[in-house]
Amino acid sequence: MSTAALPRRRVLARIRTSRAPLNLLCLAFVALVVALAVLAPWLVPHDPNAVDLGNALGGPSADHLLGVDASGRDTLSRLITGARTSLLGPLGVVVFSTLAGVAVGVVSAWRGGWLDSVLSRGTELIFAFPGMLLAILVVSLYGEGLTAPVLALAVAYLPYVSRLTRSLVLAERERPYVAAYQVQGHSAWQICLRHVVPAIAPVVLAQSTINFGYALIDLAGLSFLGLGVPALTPDWGRMVFDGESAIQSGYPLSAILPCAAIVLTVVAFNVVGERWADQVARRDR
Amino acid sequence: MDEVDQSVGATSATPVLQVSGLHRTYGAVRAVDDVSFALAAGGSLGIVGESGSGKTTTARIIVGLEQADTGRVSVNGRERTGRGRGRAHRLARAREVQLVFQDPYLSLDPRTPVGAVLREALRLHFPGADHTSRVAELLDQVGLGERSADALPRQLSGGQRQRVAIARALAVEPAVLVLDEAVAALDVSVQAQILNLLADIREQTGVGYLFITHDLGVVRCVTEQVIVMRQGRIVESGPTARVLADPQHPYTRLLLESVPRPGWDPRAIAAARRALRQA
Amino acid sequence: MNTPDRPPAPPLDIRGLRLRLPRTARPVLDGVDLTVGAGETVALVGESGSGKTLTSRSVLRLLPTGAATEGTVRVAGDDVLAMDPEQLRHLRTGTAAMIFQDPRAAINPLRRIGDFLTESLRLNTATPPAEATRRASTLLEAVGLTDAALRRYPGQLSGGMLQRVMIAAALMGEPALLLADEPTTALDVTTQAEVVSLLGDLRERFGTGLLFVTHDLGLAAAISDRVYVMYAGRIAETGPADALFSRPRHPYTAALLGSTPRLDAPPGRLVAIDGQPPGLQVELAGCPFAPRCGYATDLCRDQAPAARPLPGDPARLVACHHSDRLEGSALDG
Repeated sequence: MSTAALPRRRVLARIRTSRAPLNLLCLAFVALVVALAVLAPWLVPHDPNAVDLGNALGGPSADHLLGVDASGRDTLSRLITGARTSLLGPLGVVVFSTLAGVAVGVVSAWRGGWLDSVLSRGTELIFAFPGMLLAILVVSLYGEGLTAPVLALAVAYLPYVSRLTRSLVLAERERPYVAAYQVQGHSAWQICLRHVVPAIAPVVLAQSTINFGYALIDLAGLSFLGLGVPALTPDWGRMVFDGESAIQSGYPLSAILPCAAIVLTVVAFNVVGERWADQVARRDR
Repeated sequence: MDEVDQSVGATSATPVLQVSGLHRTYGAVRAVDDVSFALAAGGSLGIVGESGSGKTTTARIIVGLEQADTGRVSVNGRERTGRGRGRAHRLARAREVQLVFQDPYLSLDPRTPVGAVLREALRLHFPGADHTSRVAELLDQVGLGERSADALPRQLSGGQRQRVAIARALAVEPAVLVLDEAVAALDVSVQAQILNLLADIREQTGVGYLFITHDLGVVRCVTEQVIVMRQGRIVESGPTARVLADPQHPYTRLLLESVPRPGWDPRAIAAARRALRQA
Repeated sequence: MNTPDRPPAPPLDIRGLRLRLPRTARPVLDGVDLTVGAGETVALVGESGSGKTLTSRSVLRLLPTGAATEGTVRVAGDDVLAMDPEQLRHLRTGTAAMIFQDPRAAINPLRRIGDFLTESLRLNTATPPAEATRRASTLLEAVGLTDAALRRYPGQLSGGMLQRVMIAAALMGEPALLLADEPTTALDVTTQAEVVSLLGDLRERFGTGLLFVTHDLGLAAAISDRVYVMYAGRIAETGPADALFSRPRHPYTAALLGSTPRLDAPPGRLVAIDGQPPGLQVELAGCPFAPRCGYATDLCRDQAPAARPLPGDPARLVACHHSDRLEGSALDG
């Protein structure tokens, strides 16, 4: 017996299999961060806002496992509690932009005509406007609080979802099964909600998972600039900002750790999202 | 245009489907050009033609997936041209004409199991009733076991999927069933099963068939009347046996000669085709 | 080249080809024997899943990933399955060529026809571009197109014209063997006649062997010298086209003929074959057709029939235990 077909891209294939360690690791990390955020109140060893100036800039110790920041607050407790705000913000962005983006995309693809033109031009207009700038503008108008930057970023992310949805729906509605439902007498809404949206959902959700990572970076950037998240609320971006002075005094831990948390979480969400998108693409083939 | 038999379908039985003066242009192309015919109640009419003949566009106008520029389509005397709005109107139109598509791999939603496909149609058209027995009956009618109700389309073969598509169309209890190349994508042995099944169903339910196909063998097998279309126009029509045995139009003759059989002379056909194109 | 004591090798000679794919219970091809002589047209007929397409693709070693093969596939004497990549490239660009079912899917829509035709010659041989273009226009003329097509894009040609371009492209390397996988299925019937007559002309003119893969029995009967009927990865029956269709000796061939809606068949219901071909997850004990066969006995279910020549007709091979029982049946004409 001879194996006739040439083995192709075996290395690539191994990286892409679902049991690849990288994917599992990222999935585990995402789960860990989410669990920390949910269980934060029961997990934190100290009140994240308790000031202990006598201990300020202390290194890791039995009492403070990851040390203490310049204001004498426990870094571990702030990291864990900070996961809540840091995840809740992007979650809001993703939920809102996905729901609104899918609605806009489906309507403009299905109705077509002038409505499609209006919606597409509108979303392109948003595209042309940098999301961060929009968020800064909104925050400067409405002041502190998470709601304003989340809504602003959601609007900024909406075009990504709506454009993807629109192209997917355009492709899906050309498939004969949609015509079959029309001939059967189903209304356009029934066909859309029962068949077309479920068909495109996995691809859109995979894209939204990737958006989650970007939104996390954007929000962390905003709170690093001191915008959005109120000063006392523990938040990773805010922690990096607070840790700046600590770095200058030669004590980087309280700034580096939230940095690492941000980067790792974003990478983990991107890997999981890409992987999911890959799986969906393969299943559809 | 010559030798068009105006008596097609206008036989003793009243027509269930009447099409008159259908026109449809796409830009400069006349996809459907003055097409008129009638389908007798419980009858079977074939539309034969090659790609670009307008046969599929005609079918899509009849089921309502496309709009005609001018012309009328009526079922049992009721006009169905023009865009009606509202749920009742939509359902009534669906019960007039149903369609079975060419490719059973694409005409079923890959995420919906067979039983749910049928229940969807039944719930829409006959709300408030219990559909369990009707689903079983439909599956049985198309030769599928009750077990297949739980299967997803991808778990079925091409022939089985086409049976599901037929069952879905029958669930609505239409007056006319349009079959658009419904057996063209199937293997020969499966195609024969489906053609026999369609003959049985017509006998049992009295539904009228409009059979769109390029295959003259299929036309001979399942239709009583036939019209031959070329470049959007009807070039010949009449009883199937007569048209196939004694074709009047040169294009019909070319189509007949093009069917491969032992002793076939493709060179003569190629020459005839060129001659016809120049004519 | 032709020495009297050693006849030239036939364009295609397949012996005992067995092909296994990962995660299947039975071989996809199971002991296929097939020959195409010089200038001969051979039809390979079967339904989807019968292995006809895989057989033709194995001639160019275009096999699915993970396929394991046994047996030999000799093209002009050289075993394709044992070739190194360089020899394989030579085979695919020269000795054998394939025409696919859907010409539009097999051609790059962004390149001009001229580029497409000459690409292989320019890249794989030392042919000067002008010479390659000259050959391309000669062949376009041979398939009934003009030079003007050289500067056209695929989108500007009809399906029939494009299939002729594909045929011209296949002939560019002067192949000894032409593989045509359902080359007319995507075409209209009248266009089909043109393409078929063209293939016939070219075969006469260039002496190319032609393996014509099709599901259409009528077409196979009309155009070929010999026919192979395939079922579930095995050759069920082979022989001269007219004899095979007028007097089928394998129940599957007979059943296929009975279930084809023909213009010259008796009117009425078709003789449908119940059931469907066995899937790849089904292990086959005896004759693969036994579950659907009216002639099947316990022997058929236990023991796979080997291909045997018909008594008095050594050109016909039939793999059936009961081929004698088909003698004098209704289909015999």
